[in-house]
Amino acid sequence: MKITNKPTNIQAYAITLLLAITLWGGCKPDDFQKLDKRNWVLTWSDEFNGLAEELPDTSKWNFNVGTGSGGWGNQELQYYTDRSKNASMDGEGNLVITAYRESYAGSPFTSARINTQGLFEQKYGRFEARLKTPYGPGLWPAFWMLGSTITTEPWPQCGEIDIMELRGQQPNIINGTLHGPGYSGGNPISQSYAMPDNRFDTEYHLFAVEWDEEKIDFFVDDYLYQRIERDDVSGEWVYDNPFFIILNVAVGGNYVGFPTEQTPFPQKMIIDYVRVYQ
Amino acid sequence: MNKSTFNILGWFVPAGIFALLLFGCERDITDLDTATYPTNPEVFINGFSGGLNYAAFGGSVPTAFNVDNEVTLNNSAAAMRFEVPDYNDPRGAYAGGTYFTGVGRDLSGYNALTFWAKASKDASLDVVGFGNDLGANRYTVSINGLNVNTNWKQYIIPIPDPSKLNTERGMFFYSEGPEDEKGYTFWIDEVKFEKLGTITKPTAAILNGQDNTVTAEIGENITLTGLTATANLPSGVDQSVNPTPYYYTFTSSNTSVATVSETGIVTIVGAGDAIITAQMGNTAASGSLTINSVGAAIQPSAAAPTPTVDASKVISMFSNAYTNVPVDTWNTRWLYSTAEEFYVQIAGDDVIRYRNLNFVGIEFTSQTIDATNMTHFHLDIWTPDPTNAPKNFKVQLVDFGANNTYGGGDDVSHEITITAPVLATQSWVSINIPLSNFSGLTSRAHLAQLVLSGDLPNVYLDNVYFYNSATPPAVPTTAAPTPTDSPANVISVFSNAFTNIPATDLNPNWGQGTVVTQVAIAGNNTLKYAGLNYQGIQLGSNQNISTKQFLHLDYWTANSSSLKVYLISPGPIETPYTLTVPSTGWASIDIPLSSFAPVDLSNIIQLKFDGNGDIYLDNIYFK
Repeated sequence: MKITNKPTNIQAYAITLLLAITLWGGCKPDDFQKLDKRNWVLTWSDEFNGLAEELPDTSKWNFNVGTGSGGWGNQELQYYTDRSKNASMDGEGNLVITAYRESYAGSPFTSARINTQGLFEQKYGRFEARLKTPYGPGLWPAFWMLGSTITTEPWPQCGEIDIMELRGQQPNIINGTLHGPGYSGGNPISQSYAMPDNRFDTEYHLFAVEWDEEKIDFFVDDYLYQRIERDDVSGEWVYDNPFFIILNVAVGGNYVGFPTEQTPFPQKMIIDYVRVYQ
Repeated sequence: MNKSTFNILGWFVPAGIFALLLFGCERDITDLDTATYPTNPEVFINGFSGGLNYAAFGGSVPTAFNVDNEVTLNNSAAAMRFEVPDYNDPRGAYAGGTYFTGVGRDLSGYNALTFWAKASKDASLDVVGFGNDLGANRYTVSINGLNVNTNWKQYIIPIPDPSKLNTERGMFFYSEGPEDEKGYTFWIDEVKFEKLGTITKPTAAILNGQDNTVTAEIGENITLTGLTATANLPSGVDQSVNPTPYYYTFTSSNTSVATVSETGIVTIVGAGDAIITAQMGNTAASGSLTINSVGAAIQPSAAAPTPTVDASKVISMFSNAYTNVPVDTWNTRWLYSTAEEFYVQIAGDDVIRYRNLNFVGIEFTSQTIDATNMTHFHLDIWTPDPTNAPKNFKVQLVDFGANNTYGGGDDVSHEITITAPVLATQSWVSINIPLSNFSGLTSRAHLAQLVLSGDLPNVYLDNVYFYNSATPPAVPTTAAPTPTDSPANVISVFSNAFTNIPATDLNPNWGQGTVVTQVAIAGNNTLKYAGLNYQGIQLGSNQNISTKQFLHLDYWTANSSSLKVYLISPGPIETPYTLTVPSTGWASIDIPLSSFAPVDLSNIIQLKFDGNGDIYLDNIYFK
C-alpha cells in the first residue's frame, strides 16, 4: 500500500499558508517558498488556440503511437493514438488529451502522448503548464521531461524530470520527481504536494519547474514545494543537457494500478498552455 | 464540540410496529446554538450526539443494534454494533432502523455523510443512508448494496442537494438481512456530516439518464423512476445514491399535454407532445421523458354483440355470456412484444383492450383446452386503426400435443390471417374461423396458446370462444337402443323387441293436429309425431300394470321445447310426466310408475303425449 509522505516543512499545505498570507496582509511572502519574480524570457510556448478537433501543431509536437515496450516500460494498458479523438484542441484555447475505455488494436483503452523531441529541447530555464487533470482509479496524467541524450544513453542515464504526475485515485495529490542513474523507477527523488480539501481535476493549476546548473525547484501555482539541489542527488546529476517535454494520460500501470469498473470514462487532461522560459 | 460525554440512559420496547430506543445525553451549555436549527454535524462519534432517537424498523430484530465498547474505530470509546439475524430468526427477519432527532438540524452546509464500517465477514449492506425521519421521509438518500469487509473503511454518501436539508431529522438509517441465510455482525463508527472539497462533479439523473419516449393517452399516470444522483468521491470513483423525488424540480414543456407532480408522477391531460425534464438545484438532470399523447383513447361506444350460441356447444375463454375456462394470462409479455393489456368495460361489458400490440401471447397451459369436438373459433374485435388491405390481424392457435407441455416435438400450430373486408375500423367485427382452416393444427386436444398479431396496434377483444356449429340432424341417424329387459317382465306398447299389446291404436282421432307415421330409422321401426300438439295411444285392452315398476321410453327430438307423457285410467284419470327436451341423441328413460299417481295402475287404458316439435318414439313398455 502506498502511503503519502508526510509533509515536510517546505511541503506544507499551500492553501492554509496562502490563506494565512492573504489574511495577514502585511506579511511578506515566504522568502524561501515564494520566490521573487525573475526576468524570465519566453523561449517557446503553445497556447493551444486552434480550432476544435484540430490536432496538435506538428511543428511543436510529435505523437507517440502504440503500446511502447512493455506498456511504455510501466505495464500501462492504453494504446496511444494520433487521432483527434484522443488529442486535439477544444476550440476554447485548450489542448485536450482524452482517455477512452474502448477496445482498440488489442488494448482496452486509448489515450494520447505527445512530445517535443527533436522539435524543442532546452537546457535550464522555467517549464510550466496550466492544466486540469483527469481523475479516477487507474488514471495517470503527467507533464514531464526526458533528457535529449536518450537517443544515445538509455534511461535512466538520460535523466527524467516529472513536473506533475497524479494518481487518479488521489486527485488531490501531485508528485514532482527526478529519475536518474541510481535513483529511478521505484526509488526516485520525489515529493508530493497535496491539497487537503480540493482536487486538481476541478480547477486549472499551474505546474512548473525552475532549473539551473545548481538545482531544480518544483512549483504548484507558483508555490515552491520541492527544491532538489545538485548535492541532494544520491547518484549522478544528469541535468546539464537539453530536455524535451512530454504530455500524456496513461491508463493503468505500475505507478497507479488498474482502473476499476467504477472509474468514470472518458477522462480528459485539459491543458491551457505550455510555456518555457530562459 | 462535546464528543465523549453522551451516555445511553436506557431503552424500552413498546408494542407496535417498531421499537423505540431513546438516547439521552449530557450536553455542555457552551454547545448551544443560536441558530433556529442546530447545524451539529455529528451523529455518532464516541457516542450519540444530542437529541438522537433510535427506532427499529417493523419486522426487524428490535435488539439488533447495540453500542459496542470493545470493537471500535482506532480504540475510541464506542462504536455502533449491528447483529444481523440468521434466516428464520423468530425475533425478526433483518436488522434495520433509523436514528433521528426530535428537532430538525440544518445540514445545508455539508455535502456528505461519512462513516466508517467493518463487518465480521464480507457482506453487502442492503440499504444505508440518511433522511429517514419515520415521517414523510422527504429527503431520504440511500445507497443500496454497500460492500463491507473485515477491515475498517470509510464510506461517503454524497448529499445530492444540501440546500434541501435545512430542517432534517433523519440522521442515519440502515437495513440489512442475512447473507446467504446467515447472520453476522457489522460495526459503524464516526458517523458525521461533512463539507468535503474533494467531492466534485455532482450530477443528477432521472430515468437513469436515458431519454425515453412513450405513447400515452389522457388520464394515464406515469411515475418517473431511475432517480439517481452521482458525485465523484475523494478516491476518484463515482458514487451514485438514490434520492427521493423531492430533491428534484420537475418540468413539463407543455402542461396542456402533461403535468408532473413534485413526486415525479406525470399525468396526461391532453393530446400532443410534451417533454418532462428535471433539475436538481441549479443542475439540469440528465434523462427525459418525451410523451406523445394521442389524447383521449378511442374506444367502442357499444358492447360487442352478445353471443347466441348455446352454452352447451361452447368452450369460452373470455365472455360475459359464458362461464369461462381458466386462462393463465392474456399477456405473456414475451420478448419483443410491446403489447399492453387493460381490462375495461364497454357499456357494462367486460372487454380486454390491447395497446401497442405488435403481438401478444395468451396462455392457458395450466389447463389446456380440448377443442376436439368444436368446429369454430370465435372472437369479436374492435379497432380504431386503419384496416384497409393489406393491413391484417392474425390469429394463431398452438397445441402442446400429448405431453401437454411446450416442446417435445409434438407441438402443432397454425396462424390465420384476416384482412378487410372482414376487418373494419371502429365497428365490432365478429370473426368466426372454422377450425378446419387451421390446417397445420393437426391436433386440438391440448390447446395451450393463442397468439394475436398484425397491423392493428389498438384492439378491443371480447367473446373469445370455441364452439360447435353443427346443426343437429332433424332425423335420428341411429336406431333407438335395443331393450335389454327380459320379454317375460315386460308389457310392451310399441317395440320391435317385444310382443306388443294387440289391437293398440297408435293414432286415435282425438282431434289432434299431430301427424303420426311409423318410419324406419336405421332399419328399426320408429313412431314419429310430426308437429305435435297432443297425441293419444288407445291400448288394445285394459292393462293391469300394478306389478310393474316403470314406464320405459326411448325418445329423440331436436326441436321440441316441451314434451310430456301421460298415463290414463278410466274417469278419465290422467297424470303428466315432463320429459327433458330437446334430447341429446336418443334419450332412454325409466319413469317410476308412482310418478303417475293417482292414475289407477290396475286399469290403464290410454297413453297421451303433448308438447311441440317433431318427436321420435320407440320401445314404449312397462317393466
